[in-house]
Amino acid sequence: MPPESSNAIDAFVAEVREFLGASATRRTDHGAEIEWGRGEDRITYFSEDPPEVDAAKAAAAQAWQRTRYEGGFGWITGPPEYGGRGLSSVHDLVYDGIEAEYDVPDTGVLSLIGLGMIGPTILAHGRQQVKDRYLRAMYRGDVIACQLFSEPAAGSDLASLETRAVRDRDAWVLSGQKVWTSVAHHAQIGLALCRTNPDAPKHKGITAFLVDMSAPGVDVRPLRQMSGGAEFNEVFLTDVRVADDHRLGEVDGGWRVALTTLMNERASVGGEGAGPAARAVSLPFLAALLRANGRLDDPAARRRLAELHADQAATEYLNRQAVRRLRAGGQPGPEASVSKLMYAQNLTRGAHFAAEIVGPRLIADTGEWGTYAWNELLLSTPALRILGGTEEIMKNILAERVLGLPKEPGIDTTSPFRELRRSGQRRSGQRRSGHGRSGVTG
Amino acid sequence: MSGTTSEAELDELRGTVRDFLTARSGEQQVRRVMESERGYDEAVWSQMAEQLGLQALALPTEHGGDGYGPVELAVVLEEMGRALLPSPFLSTVVLAGTALVAAGDAAAQAAHLPGIAAGKTTATLAVAEADGAWRAGALRAEATRSADGWSLRGEKWFVLDGATADLVLVLARTGDGPGLFAVAGGAEGLTRTPMRTLDPTRRLARLDFAGTPAVPVGAAGTAAAVVDRVLDVATTALAAEQVGGARACLEASTAYAKQRMQFGRPIGSFQAVKHRCADMLVRVQLADAAAREAADALAGVEGAPEAAVAAAVAHAVCSEAYMFVAAENIQVHGGIGFTWEHPAHLYFRRAKSSQLMFGGPAVYYERLLSRLGV
Repeated sequence: MPPESSNAIDAFVAEVREFLGASATRRTDHGAEIEWGRGEDRITYFSEDPPEVDAAKAAAAQAWQRTRYEGGFGWITGPPEYGGRGLSSVHDLVYDGIEAEYDVPDTGVLSLIGLGMIGPTILAHGRQQVKDRYLRAMYRGDVIACQLFSEPAAGSDLASLETRAVRDRDAWVLSGQKVWTSVAHHAQIGLALCRTNPDAPKHKGITAFLVDMSAPGVDVRPLRQMSGGAEFNEVFLTDVRVADDHRLGEVDGGWRVALTTLMNERASVGGEGAGPAARAVSLPFLAALLRANGRLDDPAARRRLAELHADQAATEYLNRQAVRRLRAGGQPGPEASVSKLMYAQNLTRGAHFAAEIVGPRLIADTGEWGTYAWNELLLSTPALRILGGTEEIMKNILAERVLGLPKEPGIDTTSPFRELRRSGQRRSGQRRSGHGRSGVTG
Repeated sequence: MSGTTSEAELDELRGTVRDFLTARSGEQQVRRVMESERGYDEAVWSQMAEQLGLQALALPTEHGGDGYGPVELAVVLEEMGRALLPSPFLSTVVLAGTALVAAGDAAAQAAHLPGIAAGKTTATLAVAEADGAWRAGALRAEATRSADGWSLRGEKWFVLDGATADLVLVLARTGDGPGLFAVAGGAEGLTRTPMRTLDPTRRLARLDFAGTPAVPVGAAGTAAAVVDRVLDVATTALAAEQVGGARACLEASTAYAKQRMQFGRPIGSFQAVKHRCADMLVRVQLADAAAREAADALAGVEGAPEAAVAAAVAHAVCSEAYMFVAAENIQVHGGIGFTWEHPAHLYFRRAKSSQLMFGGPAVYYERLLSRLGV
């Protein structure tokens, strides 16, 4: 990517400001002082909204995405023939930075999975008619997409997935179970990875399909997570027919498709500096918490607050420098993986710190503002160290791809899939694991 | 001029300094020099000035400097930290140089900065007393004025390169508040005693003043602001040095983890070792970001945070990161890492001595909060 001339960026900034000025109102709380005890007494990471609120928020997100699209900002980096603007990721960053100053609906339901990950995957691997049919509709806000990747027995080792797709003339028949599927209950389409050749090594027998989520045999069930809400779903596929023209990439070439999706996932995770959770563990908010609880002079509390803030600030500096490097035409470095690890750790530390300060008022609700409310965040933090790549996987990536350390030997990438030992499965002729590990998952 | 040096030019500077230090301050040279009486190699010091102009780099042009700033200086210090260079650079250029610039005394600047820039003068700044605290208040060392001029009485401890510096800038109390005074290294009434040090590559001394003649630098009673400024610049410079050292440890661990075989495979293929290295990388990346941001902030780069905050963040993050990485480096190496012959302990010593030089965690975390108004 060539460095953008500052004139071109300035013109773009002016255009964005004109659009937002005409279609949205400026936030009044942007950069405002913390007022302890004011506002909604909730500290959320996952939305724990009741279904009707959840649906209304999704509708508002779709409406705002349509407004963006009509203003020419629906898909800033996308090709013009599919409704994109054909601009660089720098323009994308510039737009996001300015939009953050405005009070607009959160479009995460569309953007995190569909527009951020599935759209680029369809663009790279879809056939012409699939691109024509879905891309414009997705970036206009009409179509929400989900990612049918993880399975009960295929988490970090995604390539060991078991959902089957069997060819039937000009279509495929899909059967299996997907899990941890964000936004599936809103989605019209899903990108599914399926086993099409169990006799090939695990990475070489997978095919990717675009599934109509309203097709017969697709059953979306909410998955209640430990924090109480149901942000995720389980998706059961029972003899779901998918036309062959909705296949992405080659038959048995689905791993390449998945890598496109995952690459875009890593690009989007980690830059999450905003949002109510990040605000709650920010220095001004936690300092207000200490003040409200008479602990601002407590040396132990001050020390923990400073340690946390130092890491938060350094993480923010790291992100900012990565953006600057991109703007100057540089390549992304290991920052995204480092940010992702640090973001999860900082939020987790912040939540436990706040819990310690509110003490017993965290375990039973006294009704006091800013006390019991921390539970929602606290109970969400374990997920941050799992989703989008577990800490262990992120560290493998850093160690192997950045530092060049050797891969774990003994990871079987050559034997036929059907001969691999997997959790939750016992077949005749296969010796049982002596570890008691099989049968645990799924 | 800071902020206008391109990344390519900074890389070139880095390459030049690295080549020089590889040739003139490899591990064997470091070990020889750290056992020597002076604690640094005067020939290397002269070459740094004459061939590379490092002492002059970030000093003002009107006094023989090249007028570059914290960003360029950070590149130099990072390389020095990587090579564990024993040198009075931090004391002379960063501590004394910054104090002279910050004190705003034109006569003192004209008297001392050209010599520093040319590599002819080594200098230091004496702030801490017996308790090791870097502060301008509660000083015991005292400057008094008589018909013959000013003289100093009292003790200064933990003075960086204090036993060898040609010029010592001393913080002392006066009737008007804390003041800064210039004392010649060989002045009468000054006794300089090297202290035993954890880090043999960084010398510290105790100075005893018994009616030592001194020349005031800057207006009486204004030295508190000078000490504040020096702390921001020095901790930012130190942060870069810490990043260099930390990166050297990470590279040593990575190389060893690829090459050391146990149980028939490189130890770096075991996740227990691999993840240790990844944790080190995370800390190095954060430290690098914090040090860069602090240097940018001091240089007044557009969009950078407030310098006092960024310097405090960098001092905390880089101190912790270097200590963590230097300690983990020994664990990755196992038994060999615990030997005197292996350089891992030299980095460990440098990391701990750098972390505690300006007071340590209790001090730097409180400074961060106070600079954020908490």
